[in-house]
Amino acid sequence: MEDQKPTPFADLLSGCLWLALAISIVIGSWTMDRLEHLKVSTYTAPGVVPGLLGIAIAIMGILLIVRSLRAGALAQMQIPALNPLEHWRLLTALALCLAFSLGLLGSGLPFWLAAAIFIAVFVFIFQFEDRKRAGTILRGAAVAIVFALICGGTIHYIFQELFLVRLP
Amino acid sequence: MLDGLFLFGHSIANFATPTTILYALGASLVGLIIGGLPGLTATMGVALMTTLTIALPPATALLILICTYVGAIYGGSRSAILLNIPGTPASAASCLDGYALARQGLAGRAMGIATSGSILGTWIGMIALALFTPVLGEMALKFGAYEFFWLAVFGVVISGNLTGNDPLKGWIAGFFGLFVAAIGQEGMYAYDRFTFGIHDLSGGISLIPALVGAFGFAEVLTVIKDRPPKFVINTFDTVIPRLQDVLKYWRTIIRSGLIGTGIGIVPGVGEDVAAWSSYAAARRASKEKEKFGKGSVEGLMAAETGDNACIPGAVIPVLTLAVPGSAPAAVLLAAMLIHGVQPGPLIMVQNPQFVYDVVAMMLFASICILIYGLTLTKLMVKILQVPQTLVMPVIFVLCAVGSFAIASRFFDIYVMLAFGIIGFFLRQLNYPMAPLVLGIVLGDLLDKNLRRGLTLSDGDLSPFFTRPISLALFCLVAGTILMNVPAVTNAVSRIWTSATGSLRGKSSGGA
Repeated sequence: MEDQKPTPFADLLSGCLWLALAISIVIGSWTMDRLEHLKVSTYTAPGVVPGLLGIAIAIMGILLIVRSLRAGALAQMQIPALNPLEHWRLLTALALCLAFSLGLLGSGLPFWLAAAIFIAVFVFIFQFEDRKRAGTILRGAAVAIVFALICGGTIHYIFQELFLVRLP
Repeated sequence: MLDGLFLFGHSIANFATPTTILYALGASLVGLIIGGLPGLTATMGVALMTTLTIALPPATALLILICTYVGAIYGGSRSAILLNIPGTPASAASCLDGYALARQGLAGRAMGIATSGSILGTWIGMIALALFTPVLGEMALKFGAYEFFWLAVFGVVISGNLTGNDPLKGWIAGFFGLFVAAIGQEGMYAYDRFTFGIHDLSGGISLIPALVGAFGFAEVLTVIKDRPPKFVINTFDTVIPRLQDVLKYWRTIIRSGLIGTGIGIVPGVGEDVAAWSSYAAARRASKEKEKFGKGSVEGLMAAETGDNACIPGAVIPVLTLAVPGSAPAAVLLAAMLIHGVQPGPLIMVQNPQFVYDVVAMMLFASICILIYGLTLTKLMVKILQVPQTLVMPVIFVLCAVGSFAIASRFFDIYVMLAFGIIGFFLRQLNYPMAPLVLGIVLGDLLDKNLRRGLTLSDGDLSPFFTRPISLALFCLVAGTILMNVPAVTNAVSRIWTSATGSLRGKSSGGA
């Protein structure tokens, strides 16, 4: 839960991204239809507010860039070595969540089954190291499947049957 | 006053049915578990419960949400005391003395202190909610377009300033939130802004899917990216709150309750700031300063009273101005709108009963946490031991269900995914989420009122700076920003030092 302070170089990069986004917003707002054919006042044109917000974000982006440069962002400049193995937990979780949301949901599978497949795979993968060390891989798979089926069924029952909420 | 009491009694009578009490108990338990489990926040819990209760009558749905909210903020203290891990950010201050007490074999007493502090904090906030909402509601009737514009800016600026530890990043997140709210059809001419021809974007970015993404999916990624540490749970003694602790620290309780409620009223600041501020104030005023951080009963009492008092405080601006006082209150606001309750300056005119309904809901929630505080300790300990690898995939499934449930469209699941990924990276880069959420909530208010104000004044900016409330809000915004500029703070402290120095010189000369 502790806030980790990012490096000045990371701040420099995020400042540049904000500035780029802000410039795009300002250009988008400036080129937006001002609805003059409807005799709309300049002050109520649709692009006024996003344009001003873009300018504000641009100013803050520039401040962030200046601050990071003063903190020595350029001296510490180095592209971080991205080793997928170091981030396997994050990448796997992201891939599983995306596969469930974009692939399994809406694919025709009943919701409880889609949810159970996702939960079982997730639990099995993230407990695999510990299970392997303890020599209980098969037990781990069984636990993951039973837990996933119970959760999938319970979520389906509570949302759809008890509270009448439509499931994806 | 008597009218208020009558309405409050009417609200209690309305809610005192077996079904409603069962809902309140269930929701408080869910809140307690969500708050207790590290990595799950009150905001996420309230957002997920909003989707679950979408088919229920408005009063029942809001009772469930408020019980979840109160339960979650209280539940965070369990993991803070037993594991030294704050269950919610609001409980971070409770770790300092709560865990230290647990290490001394006094975990039960610490949980009793947390229970009594949380209940008394909720009651102090609840009284303020009942007393100040009508007054603030009347004041809010004087707000026009210019005031509402500055109120939206003030909310984002103060939230960016006080949440997180980098105001500049807080403001960027807040203004980005305001921009996100501008996506889709604008409110005056139904013109599509930044939709890039995507039909689903015309309706704008819905708050609940964005919140579920930023607080739920992002949290799943944050928790799962590192191997979870092995938890060591301390043994505990009796959890029954001691009257002696309450009587001895009554001043601290009242002070912390008032600080918590006051911070709750400030838009977008929230329970974590309330807990830390109450803790700091208690330490400054304490006769036992040396005990703070080493197992101070007073310190734990202050933190727990402050964060729970913040909840009713955060609901006051929701009801009177339709501006949330904290991130979970932003979800409450969205839930009220979904259920057809229109909070805002007219609420005391059109629907005064609703205000007292909310006060009664707070009372029910506080009674529920008292019941669970006394009875559920062993079960909570078991729940805290559930591995995060089991909890996180279930939470993600609930995030997907919750996003879909509001409007039954897959587009909202994509919004949740996008905000989850954006939120994860923003958190890694130390950008706070609360101003982003507040920005999304306040974006429409800012947009409509800036354009309305400019139309009314025919482009003249002076009413934004000359009307009394506008001027006061502008000064607050400018002051908040300027106090973060080192040159300004240095100059102010120089002036202050020389002014107090000359006053001291005069008084000593006079003596």
